[in-house]
Amino acid sequence: MDEIIYMNIESSPSFLLFIFFGTVTVVTALSVIFQKNPVVSAVSLVFTFFSLAGIYGIMGALFIATMQVLVYAGAIMVLIVFVLMLLSQRTETLSRYRKHPIRLVLLSLFALGFFFLLYSALTTGVPHSEQKGKGYELTEYSFPIQGTGTVNTKGNVATVGASTYLDYLLPFEMISILLLVAVLGAVILAKKRLTEVEQTKDNVL
Amino acid sequence: MNQFINDIPVSYILGLAGILFSIGVLGILIRRNIVIIFMSVELILNSVNLVFVTFSKALSHISGETIVFFVMAIAAAEAAVGLALVIAIFRHKKSTNVDELQSMRW
Repeated sequence: MDEIIYMNIESSPSFLLFIFFGTVTVVTALSVIFQKNPVVSAVSLVFTFFSLAGIYGIMGALFIATMQVLVYAGAIMVLIVFVLMLLSQRTETLSRYRKHPIRLVLLSLFALGFFFLLYSALTTGVPHSEQKGKGYELTEYSFPIQGTGTVNTKGNVATVGASTYLDYLLPFEMISILLLVAVLGAVILAKKRLTEVEQTKDNVL
Repeated sequence: MNQFINDIPVSYILGLAGILFSIGVLGILIRRNIVIIFMSVELILNSVNLVFVTFSKALSHISGETIVFFVMAIAAAEAAVGLALVIAIFRHKKSTNVDELQSMRW
């Protein structure tokens, strides 16, 4: 195994890029949870999202990389930063665990053990999933309802699109309803009570 | 099943996803600011997305990438509702420290 890895380091730039983006991901993710200032955490989270998009790009999942930048680094981070600015979190109350280093060390050890459990579980799953991939070749996507029908696609985006609109049409529509309900719920939750608005009518705008 | 995706070993990517998940769990455990807990949840969701894409590429089956799209949509919905909840709680309690949110304890 090690010889193969060394050969990869010498011969492939994508492996080096993966090492770089993975290091950036881990360092900025650690910075997210250990920074005192929440705005610095948010900026670190933006870097985490961008480096994950880079990893998706290396792996060839171009649609997912684009969506990562658009949805996570764009929309969700705008929401988080907006809320941080609305709440003006300059006087951040620090975690209790910062004053108890033993607790911090114990929780870190817990997370480390959690990582090893997770990693062993994931990698023992790898040899047992040996069957050849079905339904997806690089240039065509098979669609089972029409018998022998295959949809000729070019590139990652078209393949994901074919899979979304042929196999997962019902979940796609349900996601749109879920997003509508979530936006309505967010508006209802975040707006003031009607009586409060009437009381402070002079202050509103 | 390919053990390599574009010369990257699959186990390395899974290890990165595991590290990211553990960092998210650690953030939820040690932080008391509710917005940073939200950011840790986003880290966890991202690590799951990474596992989905990895297995989608390694098994050459496209469904993993499609499901990542759905996970992103649900994460966006969760962020919208959760941050609206944060604003409502802040208006009520004047605080974003989860230690002070004890009104449901009996």
